[in-house]
Amino acid sequence: MQAIETIELTKKFGNLVAVDKLSFEVEKGEIFGILGPNGAGKTTTIRLLACLLSPSSGSANVGGFDIVKDSMKVREIVGIQTENPSLYERLTAYENLDFFAEAYGILDSQERRKRIRDLLDFFGLWVFKDKKVGAFSRGMKQKLSIARAIVHDPDIIFLDEPTSGLDPESAREIKDLMKSFSRKGKTIVFSTHVLGDAEKLCNRVMIISKGKRVALGALEELLTNTSKPILRITLKKLDQRVIDAIKCFKQVKEVTVADSSSVVSIVLDDVETITPEIIKSVVLNGGLILSVNVVNQSLEDVYLKIVRGGKVEN
Amino acid sequence: MLIFKKDWIEIRRNWQILLPIFAIPFMISVLLPTFIFSIPGILSMPVSSLNGIETLMRNLPKNIQAEVKEMNIQQALIYIMLQYFLAPFFLVVPIMVSDVIASDSFAGEKERKTIETLLATPISDSELFLGKVLVAFVPSVIATIVSFLLYSFVANLYSVKLLNGKLILPNLTWLLLVFCLSPTIALTSIGLTVIVSAKVKGFREAQQISAGIIMPILLMLIFSQVMGIVILGPQVVLLLTVSLSIVNFLLLSIGISSFGREEILSKLV
Ligand SMILES: Nc1ncnc2c1ncn2[C@@H]1O[C@H](COP(=O)(O)OP(=O)(O)OP(=O)(O)O)[C@@H](O)[C@H]1O
Ligand SMILES: [Mg+2]
Repeated sequence: MQAIETIELTKKFGNLVAVDKLSFEVEKGEIFGILGPNGAGKTTTIRLLACLLSPSSGSANVGGFDIVKDSMKVREIVGIQTENPSLYERLTAYENLDFFAEAYGILDSQERRKRIRDLLDFFGLWVFKDKKVGAFSRGMKQKLSIARAIVHDPDIIFLDEPTSGLDPESAREIKDLMKSFSRKGKTIVFSTHVLGDAEKLCNRVMIISKGKRVALGALEELLTNTSKPILRITLKKLDQRVIDAIKCFKQVKEVTVADSSSVVSIVLDDVETITPEIIKSVVLNGGLILSVNVVNQSLEDVYLKIVRGGKVEN
Repeated sequence: MLIFKKDWIEIRRNWQILLPIFAIPFMISVLLPTFIFSIPGILSMPVSSLNGIETLMRNLPKNIQAEVKEMNIQQALIYIMLQYFLAPFFLVVPIMVSDVIASDSFAGEKERKTIETLLATPISDSELFLGKVLVAFVPSVIATIVSFLLYSFVANLYSVKLLNGKLILPNLTWLLLVFCLSPTIALTSIGLTVIVSAKVKGFREAQQISAGIIMPILLMLIFSQVMGIVILGPQVVLLLTVSLSIVNFLLLSIGISSFGREEILSKLV
């Protein structure tokens, strides 16, 4: 069964369409990343799915419950870490978690205590349990707000930029935590600006721009479908004649020369067949080749291309 | 009563709230009467200079005139001050205490953005609303009762000294004032604050605007009493209680609808 399914989910704020007919599915146990530029609608999408906002049109089903008709049920089974840490600064770390655990229906105080102890231990915050959250650093707050999101052991977890504000070590801990959750069969939907995180964690990603879905799929798929491989030739000395010769091939899409170096990057449709031809022509035109290699475009290149293109896929 | 508990802990640690909660009752119930009676001269003024006041007193209703018939004019003045004129001032206590707490609890939670995670929990709207109303209501009732005890003590101190051992409080009017009108007006203040909180960003604005709406009404009451138009007797207090209850019903229903999840969250960016 799908953990999440949305059909033309739409949210308007006045004239602004923040989320525009978004349809996607997330499988149970999947780690699903939402990427997109600032203001793309990532946070709004997550808020819709966690029943913090109701959709203007369209529908979504989360954990088997409709987000409009069964919003209370959805709230019970999901956990959400919001963009702002959203913690009570006058309460201690322990009191914050205790309050939310009870709000999520863990009425037994022994059970709450155990959960909180485990979580604070995991995040290395147990020693600060009696410290007021107002005195926490940004990273500590971020960790606590993730602990808060999972205090009731939800099946579906929404994380809005979980690693922002964290040092590399803590970010790593969070990523490991996400993986271990997914192994336990929990579904994780998260938004991020860190492409590397998405690359390491996600089964699939969705890229949105201006509220619209512009790409969806496994990362390798996106990489191979949208990106052309690059042929990189390093010359002993740069020579305009060589460049012109390369440009003559009609299979060559784009030629770039990195500043103050003699590395020529060539974007090709089909590396296999044309590479020997190009090399031959370089040599014939007097180019001295130091090295040749074929590289794939980085996720960043692909991401930027997709987002800038802004083309809506079907 | 999870929300009540949580808000209560927050309030206890917030001196911006604690300070007014303690200061206002103290000002009204101890400083105000003390100040009035320490104005040099009131007690030792020659009787002739009190002529103006005498005419004012003649405007008072018959039953009050009867109450002070046996006293000399100074005694009468003190009696009327303590018994009647200070009574509407006393309502400042429930109004301000509930206003300060409610604006922090409703608008403050929005301002600090904690409302988002709170509304993500499966706590029902009504439980949330009720918890937050109660956390403002209960302390303001307690503050009112404590203020009343303090005020009675101070007022009786003066009256014992000046009115030949007569204790003037408690009496029926004041009991009704403390136990019926004060809780009612506290709810009015809370209802107003909730509505205002939904519209503004910060808790300070919420506090000031809602106090700005209710205080002039109180001032009117104070003035009309000084002018002798209305005198707070048991009937008037009951009448005010009943009419404010009706106002409360309206305010709180508007408050509940303006406190809907969607309403609050669509305003968060
Ligand atoms: N409550 C609101 N009222 C009006 N407009 C809003 C509201 N919330 C979001 N928006 C608008 O909706 C659009 C999408 O915002 P959203 O916060 O979902 O973007 P995002 O992808 O999370 O961006 P970021 O990467 O900066 O976090 C933005 O243009 C934003 O201004
Ligand atoms: Mg966002």
